[in-house]
Amino acid sequence: MASVSLSEAEKVYIMHGVQEDLRVDGRGCEDYRCVEVETDVVSNTSGSARVRLGHTDILVGVKAEMGTPRLERPDEGYLEFFVDCSANATPEFEGRGGDDLGMEIASTLCRIFNNRSSVDLKSLCISPREHCWVLYVDVLLLECGGNLFDAISIAVKAALFNTRIPKVRVLEDEEGSEDIELSDDPYDCMQLSVENVPCIVTLCKIGCRHVVDATLQEEACSLASLLVSVTSKGVVTCMRKVGKGSLDPESIFEMMETGKRVGKVLHTSLQDVLRKEESLGPERPKVGFLG
Amino acid sequence: MLKSKTFLKKTRTGGVLKIVREHYLRDDIGCGAPGCAECGGAHGGPALEPQPQDQASSLWPRPHYLLPDTNVLLHQIDVLEDPAIRNVIVLQTVLQEVRNRSAPVYKRIRDVTNNQEKHFYTFTNEHHRETYVEQEQGENANDRNDRAIRVAAKWYNEHLKKMSAENQLQVVFITNDRKNKEKAVEEGIPAFTCEEYIKSLTANPELIDRLACLSEEGNEIESGKIIFSEHLALSKLQQGIKSGVYLQGTFRASRENYLEATVWIHGDTEDNKEIIVQGLKHLNRAVHEDVVAVELLPKSQWVAPSSVVLQDEGQNEDDVEREEEREHMLKTAINEKMLKPTGRVVGIIKRNWRPYCGMLSKSDIKESRRHLFTPADKRIPRIRIETRQASALEGRRIIVAIDGWPRNSRYPNGHFVKNLGDVGEKETETEVLLLEHDVPHQPFSQAVLSFLPKMPWSITENDMKNREDLRHLCVCSVDPPGCTDIDDALHCRELKNGNLEVGVHIADVSHFIRPGNALDQESARRGTTVYLCEKRIDMVPELLSSNLCSLRCDVDRLAFSCIWEMSHNAEILKTRFTKSVINSKASLTYAEAQMRIDSATMNDDITTSLRGLNKLAKILKKGRIEKGALTLSSPEVRFHMDSETHDPIDLQTKELRETNSMVEEFMLLANISVAKKIHEEFSEHALLRKHPAPPPSNYEILVKAAKSKNLEIKTDTAKSLADSLDRAESPAFPYLNTLLRILATRCMMQAVYFCSGMDNDFHHYGLASPIYTHFTSPIRRYADIIVHRLLAVAIGADCTYPELTDKHKLADICKNLNFRHKMAQYAQRASVAFHTQLFFKSKGIVSEEAYILFVRKNAIVVLIPKYGLEGTVFFEEKDKPKPQLIYDDETPSLKVEGMEFHVFDKVKVKIMLDSSNLQHQKIRMALVEPQIPGISVPDEISNVDVNEPEEKRRKLKK
Amino acid sequence: MAGLELLSDQGYRVDGRRAGELRKIQARMGVFAQADGSAYIEQGNTKALAVVYGPHEIRGSRSRALPDRALVNCQYSSATFSTGERKRRPHGDRKSCEMGLQLRQTFEAAILTQLHPRSQIDIYVQVLQADGGTYAACVNAATLAVLDAGIPMRDFVCACSAGFVDGTALADLSHVEEAAGGPQLALALLPASGQIALLEMDARLHEDHLEWVLEAAAQAARDVHTLLDRVVRQHVHEASIMLGD
Repeated sequence: MASVSLSEAEKVYIMHGVQEDLRVDGRGCEDYRCVEVETDVVSNTSGSARVRLGHTDILVGVKAEMGTPRLERPDEGYLEFFVDCSANATPEFEGRGGDDLGMEIASTLCRIFNNRSSVDLKSLCISPREHCWVLYVDVLLLECGGNLFDAISIAVKAALFNTRIPKVRVLEDEEGSEDIELSDDPYDCMQLSVENVPCIVTLCKIGCRHVVDATLQEEACSLASLLVSVTSKGVVTCMRKVGKGSLDPESIFEMMETGKRVGKVLHTSLQDVLRKEESLGPERPKVGFLG
Repeated sequence: MLKSKTFLKKTRTGGVLKIVREHYLRDDIGCGAPGCAECGGAHGGPALEPQPQDQASSLWPRPHYLLPDTNVLLHQIDVLEDPAIRNVIVLQTVLQEVRNRSAPVYKRIRDVTNNQEKHFYTFTNEHHRETYVEQEQGENANDRNDRAIRVAAKWYNEHLKKMSAENQLQVVFITNDRKNKEKAVEEGIPAFTCEEYIKSLTANPELIDRLACLSEEGNEIESGKIIFSEHLALSKLQQGIKSGVYLQGTFRASRENYLEATVWIHGDTEDNKEIIVQGLKHLNRAVHEDVVAVELLPKSQWVAPSSVVLQDEGQNEDDVEREEEREHMLKTAINEKMLKPTGRVVGIIKRNWRPYCGMLSKSDIKESRRHLFTPADKRIPRIRIETRQASALEGRRIIVAIDGWPRNSRYPNGHFVKNLGDVGEKETETEVLLLEHDVPHQPFSQAVLSFLPKMPWSITENDMKNREDLRHLCVCSVDPPGCTDIDDALHCRELKNGNLEVGVHIADVSHFIRPGNALDQESARRGTTVYLCEKRIDMVPELLSSNLCSLRCDVDRLAFSCIWEMSHNAEILKTRFTKSVINSKASLTYAEAQMRIDSATMNDDITTSLRGLNKLAKILKKGRIEKGALTLSSPEVRFHMDSETHDPIDLQTKELRETNSMVEEFMLLANISVAKKIHEEFSEHALLRKHPAPPPSNYEILVKAAKSKNLEIKTDTAKSLADSLDRAESPAFPYLNTLLRILATRCMMQAVYFCSGMDNDFHHYGLASPIYTHFTSPIRRYADIIVHRLLAVAIGADCTYPELTDKHKLADICKNLNFRHKMAQYAQRASVAFHTQLFFKSKGIVSEEAYILFVRKNAIVVLIPKYGLEGTVFFEEKDKPKPQLIYDDETPSLKVEGMEFHVFDKVKVKIMLDSSNLQHQKIRMALVEPQIPGISVPDEISNVDVNEPEEKRRKLKK
Repeated sequence: MAGLELLSDQGYRVDGRRAGELRKIQARMGVFAQADGSAYIEQGNTKALAVVYGPHEIRGSRSRALPDRALVNCQYSSATFSTGERKRRPHGDRKSCEMGLQLRQTFEAAILTQLHPRSQIDIYVQVLQADGGTYAACVNAATLAVLDAGIPMRDFVCACSAGFVDGTALADLSHVEEAAGGPQLALALLPASGQIALLEMDARLHEDHLEWVLEAAAQAARDVHTLLDRVVRQHVHEASIMLGD
């Protein structure tokens, strides 16, 4: 896990600041750092997004591929998550070094996003039991500056918003054998509704208070944090405690409330940015990593 | 180097993969008009004329360039190829579409574009900054392309205006799509349909005939009722083929019966290899060689291949009822056992139309412009064409191309392409047979000739590098009389150590034909020299074939020599290859050489050399035969031509002398030695020749035939076949052996060229050699040139070049060579057949002895040894009572009114020329002996008009 | 259907370039703050990131340390969504390992490793989108990243690929051109001296043609150098303005 080592004095300094609702970089406890979002950065994917949150840099690519529905859910498509902790972020991730973290994040993402209440999985089905769309959501961690989960969830939501799935028709002949026909018009495609896609808000317990969007340094001071996934309507869909420390039940409720509040604001501003970007159309100059 | 180009991305979704390709737009693409200040001549290659004056169109009298759309290019290429059409702008959009839709048209367009005189210019509009258009939402690819074409046309007009306003140079858009034309006119682009434009060219009225008539515009052709069911869409067909509902195969029309065809199913399905399609509606507008999809009919509707001969004679196409009547006729006499899988054509996967040779059948209606065209190939349906020069074309051989076959038309529509000349004229007929066999026979182009050595030519110092001087050797050549392209010469001398040195010297053609140049490409395309009865179509220009490469006597010539040291028992002790210079001491004919060998008095160097060669050749031949090489025979005839009229006046079967086999023996030896050498050096890239062993079933007919004469032919190995053929002698019937060998030849497979890296079976069955190639006739075979190059590299006498070691390129060359050789063979046969006809035309009716080669159900195939002529004697004839015929498949034999015929029986036949069908004159044979009342004809030479044998016979019967 | 025509009669390639022309190259140095050096490059639709850590002390087993020079450690990784068909693993497969090895060879030839004995330099490249010439893009990105990290090098390392179609050498192959299956050559050049840091060639190519293809690749690499040099100067200029303010 990407981390920094801090001296005791540094930790105390941070903790005392949090106590006073004043963090090292000048934020209050419920303030996010500046989030930069850009979609459609990788042109050969069905949808992609890059999110920078402080020094955390995430690139998400979504590829829609044809697959067969899972047996237990014959009329639904599904999402597959893969998180690549690139050695770019830290040399510790070289080789198989990032695999554990990647696996942990991927399973969390899968639990949060791959269900009917988040994404309209039925719309991904082409023909029941035969064909469906599988969305491969690949997360690439390029730089690690704290609060990975939040940044990744924002990037995933943005990428899903950007995803365009080509429209297909299933042709069936008398014998019942099927053939899939793809439209030759590149504009003829379907867009996913991201209305109910949640975002993760991680609340870091520092001292007896909690902060959102912790930096690496703040994470080093925290013993435990709570991961809450919130929809744009403020509904909590998932919750998970992470970290080696322990939390008392009362603070969990407190943290959940904060999570809901912060999450709603986060969703609103994200939707704004995404909509604004989309209104610019395909002629929008892409910045990507060049800016 | 930095590009100041805007670039756009084009997203193409193929399968489910999203593929992103970059697409650069440029501003350095020239418009192709010379003197354009803006483009500054930024284009190489062929360009438009600055002042296109010659096209006087009444619709658009000002100077203009033409800009055709895709469909015009695809369908009206015949018109565009006419020299009268010049200054055409071919857009990249159009060219790409053509490329995807029709490879042959694409090739023709490229040829036209490369012709400087045509002034065709290809404008890369898709990469031009101002003419690129992006596919818009809701727009399909076709609409986009149409728009791209219009945008380019508009750009041109504005661009040309800038260039010079006063000469009013403009682009005229040619499209047959009404909507597109309307849109173009709206946008201010002068636009016409192809027909309108061509008709407006008052100076060239003949172009109208060449227009393809397309049903889109010309619905008025006939609004008659719909005859055929619709062809299914390609996607439907592919789906059906995948699921097995339909079968894909090549459509092969029957020669005898225009209402019947077989479809050869592709793939390796065991059953239903061949599907019969019967009846006009089931044939559903498929044309011979098309790739079609067929649907199998239920077993209850299966039919047997009919043995009826039916020719399409209807002049008036609306007679569909009569057609049905005829179809009904096919279905009579059905034998349960004979039923074969039957199907109907549901769609066309790929048309394989080409221009067809044939003749016009003038319409009965005097003023009609629509006429039917009857192709020479009976498998091709008659084609309706529109022409104003019908009376001029009557009785001529013409070329016609098919344009389409609407559902309501009995015949396909086509257009006139070219007039070849009067029917029956020797030049015309030669042209026809060359065209029909796809033999490239145009005179060599200037580009090709430019690579010939400059005359006077002599051997230079440079030529002598890597070359041995063998001028001191006593080399001579032995060829048939009148041979001007001598590619081989021989020598033999005794060495000091008592051994013999034998050399085969082959013309060094690869010295003159350098890889990759136009001369090389043309020779590679031609592949072989084609020998017709009185004409030779050279593979290489005459300067090379008959002069510089021909190893004539008493001149210094470059050669590629293969030299062996041999013992007196013809054992090879050493083999070496070298490029050399030789000076042949004598060019002999086979007869002359034979005379020298046989003469007791001659003892000069040449004669000794020949005797040595002859002695070794005999040993070699014996050894070869012991190994199982086959000596087969085919009746070969030569015509004696009248020196004035060039008409054949006599036939002569080829005589075989010892010297023939002497030369052949050393050629074989050289070829085998070279094959070994090049395969050793280039295990992957050697060009070799193989002759596969025929499957045992091929021999059935031979074995049965021999059995009927109480002889046994073993066919398990080449050796046993050769031996049993040798043993198959009948003292009472000396010609029997030759007949058996002729039959054996028919059982053989075709020998083919191949690239050693692409195959692992090298065996040459006929020669019983594990490896073989062609080295000895580079003047007339391209394969030999490649082999020469390989060998030259192998011995370090010449440098290699990339294509030589590219096995795929080599495999392509082999494919072409095999095709050309086959076609050359067919053309040769067709030429012999034509000359045989000419011969019998002048000779009148003759009766000759013949032997039966094959027995058929209603006929016997006979061979007349005197003329080497093969023909069929039919026992069933139109308008005559059918004789009683009993056919026995086992023996095989045929009993005609109690008279039994077996293979190899001697008969007497009457030969005459049947000119009842002007297009297909043929030799006709009738039985004279044994006499069968009502069947045979009396043996007498009469002077009754040979053109009407039918009537004559009837008279005699009375 | 007829296959793609890689070079038209008019001399244009599928994407509209002429035979010797490069794709559009855009690059930026200093993309990330945490790494010692980083750079991003776009060569047409091929996009790659490179980061450099080091020189630092040897990580893991000390025995890997070299007494006389720095250890150059490279990892090539390609995002799972970078290719047309999704990849299953970003790195660790045979091709990635081979690429890592090639990069290491290339940069051992260029970095003045003897200046940092017993230490390690990590070069990590990450391909974000692959459209042909990934090796070249990685080398070019890594060069910029190494420069950004301030590690002394003999010279720029500039790489480019070249292929051969119908008797013409094509520079900087795109994916379509690579997929057509003709011969390909990858070349890494030290432009100032004209030395070759890496040369790799697959498929058969006739000896007579090698020179042309090599020259095309070398010329393209020199063109790349001009561009990279401009990027570096621009970056230094911007950095000095920021320091000056």
